[in-house]
Amino acid sequence: MQLKNVIESPCGLRFMLDGLELQSGFARRWLLDSEMMTNEQEIAASYGVLRHFVDFVRSIEPSFLNTLLFRLQGVKDIRTTIKNLRQLSTLDDIELFEVKHLAILSTEVAKLLKNHNLDNVVEIPSLDEVINILDPDGMKIASFYVYDSYCEQLKDLRIEMRKHPDQQEELLVEAAEIEEGVRADLTKQLHAHVDDIASTLIALAKVDINVAKARQAVDLELCFPEISGDGTSHYVAMFHPQVKDALNRAGKQFQPVDISFAHIPTLITGANMGGKTVVLKTLTLCQYLFQFGFGIPAKEAGIAIKDDIMFCIGDEQSIEKGLSSFAAEMKNIDAVIKASREKRRLLALIDEPARTTNPTEGTALVQALLKVLAPRRMSLVMTTHYDIEPGSAHCLRVKGFDNGSMNYSLVEVENGEVPHEALNIAQSLGIDQEWITLAREKLKVSSCEKTK
Amino acid sequence: MIVAAIERREIVAKVSFIDEILKYDSLSIVGLQKNTGKTECLKYVLARLPLDQKKVAVTSIGIDGETTDQVTRTQKPEIVLREGMYFGTSEAHYRLRRLVSELVDVSDESTSLGRVVTARALTQGKILLSGPSSTLGLQRWISDVRRHDIDLAIIDGALSRLSLASPAVSRSMILATGAAYSINMSQLVQHTAFVVDLINICVTSERNIALLGPIEKGMWWIDTDGELHEMEAVTSLSQQVQFHGMDHCCAIYVAGALVDSFLEKVRKNKALRQVELVVRDFTKIFVTPQQLRMFEKTGGKISVLQKSKLIAVTVNPTSPAGYVLDSEELCDRLSQAIGLPVYDLLKN
Repeated sequence: MQLKNVIESPCGLRFMLDGLELQSGFARRWLLDSEMMTNEQEIAASYGVLRHFVDFVRSIEPSFLNTLLFRLQGVKDIRTTIKNLRQLSTLDDIELFEVKHLAILSTEVAKLLKNHNLDNVVEIPSLDEVINILDPDGMKIASFYVYDSYCEQLKDLRIEMRKHPDQQEELLVEAAEIEEGVRADLTKQLHAHVDDIASTLIALAKVDINVAKARQAVDLELCFPEISGDGTSHYVAMFHPQVKDALNRAGKQFQPVDISFAHIPTLITGANMGGKTVVLKTLTLCQYLFQFGFGIPAKEAGIAIKDDIMFCIGDEQSIEKGLSSFAAEMKNIDAVIKASREKRRLLALIDEPARTTNPTEGTALVQALLKVLAPRRMSLVMTTHYDIEPGSAHCLRVKGFDNGSMNYSLVEVENGEVPHEALNIAQSLGIDQEWITLAREKLKVSSCEKTK
Repeated sequence: MIVAAIERREIVAKVSFIDEILKYDSLSIVGLQKNTGKTECLKYVLARLPLDQKKVAVTSIGIDGETTDQVTRTQKPEIVLREGMYFGTSEAHYRLRRLVSELVDVSDESTSLGRVVTARALTQGKILLSGPSSTLGLQRWISDVRRHDIDLAIIDGALSRLSLASPAVSRSMILATGAAYSINMSQLVQHTAFVVDLINICVTSERNIALLGPIEKGMWWIDTDGELHEMEAVTSLSQQVQFHGMDHCCAIYVAGALVDSFLEKVRKNKALRQVELVVRDFTKIFVTPQQLRMFEKTGGKISVLQKSKLIAVTVNPTSPAGYVLDSEELCDRLSQAIGLPVYDLLKN
């Protein structure tokens, strides 16, 4: 699973990626192509590196950071050139320039990192030998042509050219042959360093990505999680950066949420507008951020590694496939059930399943779904408005209306009974009074009938 | 006596022409039409710039589109560069260079002929120029070459609808006109004067530049409080242009092309009489002189976000079919009509 495959997930991963201030297009492409990590050592190592970079961006002078960022902007995607070099096909001037440019740039970046003891954190191979090959005059400037000093004969021809411009055309043809020979020779010499050149390019992308992730972690006050070994994930003061940002813009505050879950299904009930969907979005987002090595939007977190992350949000219609919202949802949940049968670590987050059908059948579907998934060794977090028997599920409820305002925190409840706050909330929204009053009367009648 | 007078006049012309160019850090040379002597003018300028005083870089606006391969490979003229000049061209054309040169930059700007590269000529020699094909790319190239301490960036421009890049990003401009446009001298003078008027359209206020500069698409309007609003119609070509709800409008911005029908609609709307019509630069204006005159007569005002100072106009009195207009008469009449020096460079 590459980052680019999940970037459009409705959990808001795109917002996090767009917020990353990457300096080169290559770093962005490399990040999007990166695989989701499922190995504990790998995740731990990636956070280890990121921690160093956070210390670095916290402690350095802005002018120094700008110098580094400016250098990183110069990184170009020269993978085609590297491929040609690997195949020993003679590089042309533009390709030789690219290699030299990368070599000089990497030396400068390595020097900057060394000043801050980061040279052991991201290892940039030394390309001094490459520079020597492509800079025979020792100018240390990122420019290139087939220099006079490569070949005495070439030097003479060029002197002739300047002396006799009228003979330039013929002299150029003669020189071209010699130049091609020099390029073939340079390609051979560089071929010995092709692996170092390739790793340097990637190392520079990694520096770029880590600086960007570190700056984002500092700006958004993200934390670095513990890697949970027992399958339990817990978050303290978790928030959704995109929703928080939107609320802050509107002059409002985001109320962080604490939550933990393991292999027992977690059922979240609560009033409309109580932030249940946001909780699921944030959990999905955090899981991806964790396994792609980003900072986590919470004060503290311990997260269990998953092989598959499945987020089913109810209201997506699949127009291309001609499915209604109900059909699309059923297909998605069906995929969760199928995946739960495999021996993989699965996290499924299902938002109000069967919400678009009638409540009688909807309740039955959700009840049955819980029964099917409960025994499976997976992590399931599900929200619902339906009154269902929770069985062994861990039940959480959005606290709801509290002194006239919404309290978004989650509280543990004994059973999954859903709160009846829809009418209060509708009233607080200033909805037509006649409508609300009639609904209240209707509720009274039906509850009377039940008691009879 | 007469010969001496003419010679003196030419010397004065040459000197003032090149001196005027040196006052600016960027120059574009644009042709009213093909074969109006744009390339001759570029060659003339390149041959006479004092390279011991100024570091010069030159590029050309690439033409984007499917016809590029057939058209540019064959039709783009080769330019002779002098030793020490910097140039920007595409990868494909760099490989065909006929001079010794040192690569100093490979940009991310890609054209249909590959990326734009920048190099320094180490000998004199010929090169095909095909630079950035977008206005943004052109602006970036100009600012990038500054890193090599370039004093003057020269753009071989095009006034063609095929080109997406506008030469108006340069601070100064030379317009090349000639018999290739029309062998009817009055018509040629009239049309050239109209284009000169467009080039000379005033720049809008600092506030409008700050507000509208970053917008590349659509149509927008500014109310009297300085608030920016987007219009429903996306281009001025649209039949569905509507102005309701624009009660306190003080300026309308057309990011794309400005056409006759839109100008007429604005003119006929009494509520918009005093409105300032803003376009990116003069190359976006595709209106007839008649419509423009009527628009201005009823109190309308057009302004631009970007403007180049027109330094001079050059003429090529020979049409591609071989018909030759009287050079001196053409220069005199044109100079009178536009109030600027006009040169026939081929005659020199």
